[in-house]
Amino acid sequence: MEQFKTERSRYARSLIEASLDPLFTISLEGKITDLNKASTDIIGNTRENIIGTDFFGYFTEPIKAREVYQDVYKNGFVTNSPLTIKDNKLTDVLFNGSVYKDDAGNVLGVVVVARDITEQKRIATKLNEAIVFAELTTDIAEQAKSKAERATLIAENAVKAKQQFLSNMSHEIRTPMNAIVGFTKVLFKTDLTVKQKEYLSAIKMSGDALIVLINDILDLAKVDSGKMTFEKIPFKISLSLSAMIHLFETKIREKNLQVFKEYDNSIPDVLVGDPVRLHQIILNLVDNAVKFTSTGSITVSARLTKEDEENATIEFSVTDTGIGIAENKLTSIFENFQQASSNTSRLYGGTGLGLAIVKNLVEAQGGSIVVKSQIDTGTTFSFTLNFRKTDSLDESEEDIEEFAPGIKNIKVLVVEDILLNQLLMKTLLDDFGFQRDIAENGKIAIEMLIKDDYDIILMDLHMPVMNGFEATGYIRNELNNDIPIIALTADVTTVDLEKCRLVGMNDYIAKPVDDRLLYSKIVSVLKRSVYIKNVTDEATLRDKGTKFSCINLDGLIKRTKSNPVAVLEIIKAYLDQTPPLITAMNNGYKDKDWNKLYSAVHKMIPSFGIMGIKTDYENMAKTVQEYARAPEQANGIYDLVSQLSNVCTNACTELKEEYDRIKKTGL
Amino acid sequence: MNSDIKVKLFLVDDDAVFLKTLEMEFLQHANFSIETFATGEDCLVALSHKPDAIILDYLLDGIEKNVMNGIEVLDRIKAYDPEIPVIMLSAQDKIEVAVDCMHHKAFDYVVKSETAFFRLQKIIRIIFKYRKMEKTLNWYMERM
Repeated sequence: MEQFKTERSRYARSLIEASLDPLFTISLEGKITDLNKASTDIIGNTRENIIGTDFFGYFTEPIKAREVYQDVYKNGFVTNSPLTIKDNKLTDVLFNGSVYKDDAGNVLGVVVVARDITEQKRIATKLNEAIVFAELTTDIAEQAKSKAERATLIAENAVKAKQQFLSNMSHEIRTPMNAIVGFTKVLFKTDLTVKQKEYLSAIKMSGDALIVLINDILDLAKVDSGKMTFEKIPFKISLSLSAMIHLFETKIREKNLQVFKEYDNSIPDVLVGDPVRLHQIILNLVDNAVKFTSTGSITVSARLTKEDEENATIEFSVTDTGIGIAENKLTSIFENFQQASSNTSRLYGGTGLGLAIVKNLVEAQGGSIVVKSQIDTGTTFSFTLNFRKTDSLDESEEDIEEFAPGIKNIKVLVVEDILLNQLLMKTLLDDFGFQRDIAENGKIAIEMLIKDDYDIILMDLHMPVMNGFEATGYIRNELNNDIPIIALTADVTTVDLEKCRLVGMNDYIAKPVDDRLLYSKIVSVLKRSVYIKNVTDEATLRDKGTKFSCINLDGLIKRTKSNPVAVLEIIKAYLDQTPPLITAMNNGYKDKDWNKLYSAVHKMIPSFGIMGIKTDYENMAKTVQEYARAPEQANGIYDLVSQLSNVCTNACTELKEEYDRIKKTGL
Repeated sequence: MNSDIKVKLFLVDDDAVFLKTLEMEFLQHANFSIETFATGEDCLVALSHKPDAIILDYLLDGIEKNVMNGIEVLDRIKAYDPEIPVIMLSAQDKIEVAVDCMHHKAFDYVVKSETAFFRLQKIIRIIFKYRKMEKTLNWYMERM
C-alpha cells in the first residue's frame, strides 16, 4: 500500500515535472512550497533557492499578483489571468490557480499554473502588425488606383485634345494653303518672266510640300489614336501599281533611272481592300527609292504568296539600286522623324515621316514590312498584305478624267463663304469653261436652287447661317432634289466624311483643291447622272415612236453639190469599209491588241463627220483612241467600244436604206 | 495656173470614205485631174505619171500591217523626185506628227476635218504661186 502510494506520488511528480508550463504550490502565507522544472527554468534559479521565497516577488506587478492570489482563495480558483514573470526576459504568462485541500477539506495552499504565452503574444503582435500593414497597403493601393484613373483621364483628354488640335490646325493651315497654292496655279497661267516663274514654282513646291507634311502628320495621329479606318472596296491591283509608277515617270526620267514592274499574273484580277492606303504605302516607298537612287533602276513588284478559297496574300516590294542603309539603322528608320543618318535630311530632304506611316499603315491592316539593304548597293522594302477575294467587279474606278464626251455647258453652283476661296473656285471653273454662280451660305444656295437650274453643287461644309450639312439635308429631304453635290472640305477626318455621306452628298474633295482632281470629280459625278438621264431620254424617245437616226446626210449632200452619184459612191465606200473596221475594233479590244484597236478607231474617225454622225461619238472614238495608246487604262473602255460598235452598225443599216432610196428616187 | 492645163493630183489614203469624199470635192473644182491610191505602193508605181502634187495619208499601215507607212512613202517620193510637193494628211492633231512630217520634207501638214479640203485647196494654190514665182525669178536670173 505504502509502496503503491509512493509509486503514485512519483508518477504524479513526473507528470508535473514533464509539464512545460511552470507549476507552483504556494502556502497560505504566499511562500512557494514546491515547483517544477519549467518554473526553475523560467525564473533562472535553483529549486532549493526558490522554495520558501515570496511568490509575489517574481512578478512585475506584485500587487496585482497578490490580488489574483487572493481571488483564488475567495473563489477557490482563477483562470487565465495575465501576469508577467520578472525573469531575465519578462515572460508573459496566464495565471491559472485553484486551492488545494487536505482530506478534511481544510485549505492547505494554492496550486498555480502559469502558462507561458510568449509565442501567442508574439503571434498576436505579428498578426496585429500584419493587419495594420494590410490596412496600410489597401490604402496605398486605393490611392494608386485613383491616381491611375486620374492619369488615364488626363491621358485620354490629352489624346482628344491632340486630335482636336491637329484637326483644327489642319483646318487652319489648309484654308490659307488652299488660297496660296490655288492662286499660285492661277498666277502661273499669266504672262511671267523667267525669274518670276522660278520664284513662283518655289512657292508652289513649298506649298505642296507643306500640304504633304500636314497630311502625313494627320495620318500618323489617326493611326496613333486608332482612328484610321480602312475601306473594303473591290479594286484592281495591277492598275494601282501602274498608276503609281506612272506618277513617278517624270521624276524617274529626270534622274535617268530605269523603272521595272514585275507583276505576278496569278494574282486575282479584282481584290477587296483599301486602294487609297495601298497607293499611299507604295507612293511613299517609291518616293524614297527615287530620292535615294542616283543611277540604276527601281523595281516595283507584286507576288502572290498564299491563296485559299477566300483570301489572297500578296507580297509587294520596291527595290532600288541606291545608297543603301547601314545595318544598325534598319530598325530606327521606321520611327517617327527618323532617317538613316542626320545627314540624310540635309542631303536628300524629307521629314522622316514616310516610313513611319508606311509601317503603321501596313501593320494596322494586319500586314508586316521588312527591309533588306546593303550600303552602296541598294535597298528592298517588302510588305505583305491580305486581301479578300471577290467576284464583284471593280466599280470604283476613279481615274483622272481627261476626256469627257458630252459634258459641256455645265452650270455649277459654288457654296462658299470665304471670299478668297470664292475667287479661286471662280477662276478654276472659268478655266474649265463651266458656268458658275456663287452662294455665300447654304440658305442663299437653297434660294438660288429654287429659282434656277444647276447641274452640280460644290458645297463648303463650314459656313455661317446655314452650313453645308444642313443645306444638303434640306435639298435632299425638303426639295427632294437629287442634284449631284460635292463637298469641299479642309478637314478630311473620317468623321466629316461619314457625315457627308449620311446627309446625301455624292462625293467630296479636299482643300486645297487640285484643279485636275476637281475636274475629274465633277465629270465623273455628272457622267453617272447624265448616263441615267440619257437612258431615260432615249426611252422616252422610243416610247414616242420617233425613229432614232444616227446619220445626217445634209452635210454630205451640200459638199457634193447635190451630186447623187458622188453621194452614192461615198456611201458605198463607207458601207464597204466600215463593217471590217467594227470587227477589227471589237477583236482588238477582245484580244487586248491595242494597236489594232487604235488603228481601227483611228480610221473610223474621219467618216463620222462625213456621215453626219453626232460629234459625241466622234469624241468617244477619240477617247477610245487615247485609251488604246495607254493600255493600262484600257480595261474601262468596254462601254465606249460597244457603244461605238452599235452606232457604226446602226449607221451602216441606215446608210444602206438611204443608199437604196437614193439609187431609186434620187436625192 | 493655166486653166486649160489641169493640175494632176495624187490622193493616197487607206480610208476609202475619206478618199472618195476628197476626190469628189476636188473634182467639183474643174481644173484638177485626180488619181487615187489606197496604198503607198500603188502611188509609187504611178509616179511616172508626173503628179503636180501628192496628198498623202500619214497612217497607211493601220489596218494592213505589211504595207509602207506614210513617212516611208514620203521618203521614196522625195528620193524619186525631191521637187514633187507632198502634203501630209492625218486624223491626229498632234504636234509630233506634224514635226515628223516636216522633218521628212513634207510641204505641209493638214488634219482630217471638215475644213481639210479648204486647207488643201489653199495649200495647192500656194504651191503653184511659189512655183510661178520661182520660174519668173529663174527667167530673170538667166537674163541677167
